[in-house]
Amino acid sequence: MRKEPANRISGKGLTVWRIHGVFYTLMVLVPAIAAIVLAYIFDGPVWIYIVSAAVPVLTGYLLIGLFPKIRWQRWRYEVRETEIELQHGLFIVKRTLVPMVRVQHVDTSQGPILRKYGLAGITVSTAATTHEIPALQMEEADDLRSRISGLARVAEDDV
Amino acid sequence: MMSEERHRLHWITAVIELVKTLKEAILPLIVIVVANGLGREKTGNFWLDNISVFIFGLFIVFTAVAGLIKWKRFVYWFEDGELRIEHGLFVKKKRYIPFERIQSLDYTEGIFHRPFGLVKVKVETAGGSGKDQAEAELTAVTRAEADRVSREIADAKRMKRMPSAEAAETTGTEAEGVPPEVPEADGAPARTVFRMENRDIVFLSAISGRIGLIFSGMAVLMSQFSDILPYELIFDELAAFVKFGVLIIAAAVLAVLLVGWVISVVWTFLSFYGFQVAFDGDDLFISRGLLEKKRITVPLNRIQAVRMSENPFQKLFGYRSVKVHSAGGGEESGAVISLFPLVKRDRVNALLGELFPELDLDAELARTPGRSRPYFYRIDFVWMIPVIGLASWFLFPYGLLTLLIVPAVILLGMWQHRSGGWAISGRQLTVRWRGFALQTVYVFRRRIQSMEERQTVFQKRKDVATVNVSFKSGTGASVAPVRHIDRADAERLMDWYDPRDRTGREAALEKGRAVHE
Repeated sequence: MRKEPANRISGKGLTVWRIHGVFYTLMVLVPAIAAIVLAYIFDGPVWIYIVSAAVPVLTGYLLIGLFPKIRWQRWRYEVRETEIELQHGLFIVKRTLVPMVRVQHVDTSQGPILRKYGLAGITVSTAATTHEIPALQMEEADDLRSRISGLARVAEDDV
Repeated sequence: MMSEERHRLHWITAVIELVKTLKEAILPLIVIVVANGLGREKTGNFWLDNISVFIFGLFIVFTAVAGLIKWKRFVYWFEDGELRIEHGLFVKKKRYIPFERIQSLDYTEGIFHRPFGLVKVKVETAGGSGKDQAEAELTAVTRAEADRVSREIADAKRMKRMPSAEAAETTGTEAEGVPPEVPEADGAPARTVFRMENRDIVFLSAISGRIGLIFSGMAVLMSQFSDILPYELIFDELAAFVKFGVLIIAAAVLAVLLVGWVISVVWTFLSFYGFQVAFDGDDLFISRGLLEKKRITVPLNRIQAVRMSENPFQKLFGYRSVKVHSAGGGEESGAVISLFPLVKRDRVNALLGELFPELDLDAELARTPGRSRPYFYRIDFVWMIPVIGLASWFLFPYGLLTLLIVPAVILLGMWQHRSGGWAISGRQLTVRWRGFALQTVYVFRRRIQSMEERQTVFQKRKDVATVNVSFKSGTGASVAPVRHIDRADAERLMDWYDPRDRTGREAALEKGRAVHE
């Protein structure tokens, strides 16, 4: 049995995902409120009220509560001398292996919300694929980036 | 030293540019002309009435001048081990391509090239994954000139390689997915390894999927003309037509299908005529075409994976087809290249063995375990149930016929389950799976860019997992899936790929090399 990768992403990452969830929920909430208002004005059937109330509640529960939590708990990574291993996924658990010799470049990136929480994401690119570690402490992300690019430079290929 | 003389393209370039632009613009132009010219009353004003003609004429003149300018201003020459190109009227563009970045030269002979013995030369470079990669096209040069270009580049490369071969070996971090180049047997003449018989080309044309393309083309054409077609008239005729009965309609549909099919057969035949593959030890040269002759060069060290496929038609007649995934920028010699579009099953291994001697084609494949069979069709119920439900509800009773897709999907799933397999032989991975056609991919570990093991909640219950193998194809990635295999086998695959787990000799070898560095 292969061991799980050792490191978790930053705990603040969970908060950031929850904030994303809040935004999505708001996007659902607005039409739901509109539907309720319209149903009130035009004397619509009762089920419209029920659906309009249930959908945002459910969305909120899933996107703010459950999904970020599962995602966060699942997210693991490990950068070893010869390879990078990632594990993530909500319904499908994905374990990705990227050998150092294949790494072409590493980027860190940061959206406004990530910046507010002092986080950054790392993107590892091979000649064909890209892989992301979504939320790390900023210093940690910078360290990891230079570490990966250093390791990638000295990695030896098996021809 | 190298010649620094400026070279020009052949004057036919101007004509080719003109025709190319016209070809792209012809449909919108027709629409403009039709919209403006037809179905509008004459105003009596000569200029206004013929405005579309003027637009059209102006466009042609403009395009012709643009083509002329492009030809006039385009020069190329060789200097300092680079191919240098300069063009443009107001904005002068210069492009310098170092010879060692040039992967291959592809030749195309269009109908305008043929009478003058010219070729179009496309310069393919080892561009990574960027759009900004250097790439160039010499629209029309004489054949002799093209050969001179290729010789010049080959010579320069060889000169350069001699002293720096050692350096290439040690910096072998595979910047572009290219292994350090092996000193080649210079000047070995290319020899033809594969040639398609006319009979096979006809067969290929007959079963090729291009017919769909033709129909969509016809549909586009129809939609462009929809403005001028007199629909009421057609409907009246159609109503009369219906009275003739279903038989005649069926015959008409059949006739249309047949015509489309014949067009597609002829088209495919023309473009695949004389298909042959030559090999000189380093590069594959694939040439084909009757009206437009194409020759592309595929450096062997750019090939990432070999893919063999067999659709049910091909299987019926004992054929297979082989493609190679190549890394690189251009459309021609990048991405997926047809190596043997159609080849007899009993010959394919021998042919491939000649080109790729290190490839293990007969590896015993491990089968997908029986317990994972349901996974191949169960997911499809997610879309089948709503489709069947809606169809049956709204189109009762005929909608119930959609129930037939259930056994069809299940059977296909069972077929896919039976066809899947994988094998590890040394550093090579063989993956076989079925969409509708059977696909077999042969890929070496050093060509695999990343591997992913994935497991859904449902898969976990029966301890199976899927492994996706990504390798480079063109500028993107292609994935070979090892679907729903035993979890332990999935882990074995990951272990095989994991550089950390390399055992014994290999690890020692790697260590030795690291120390050496």
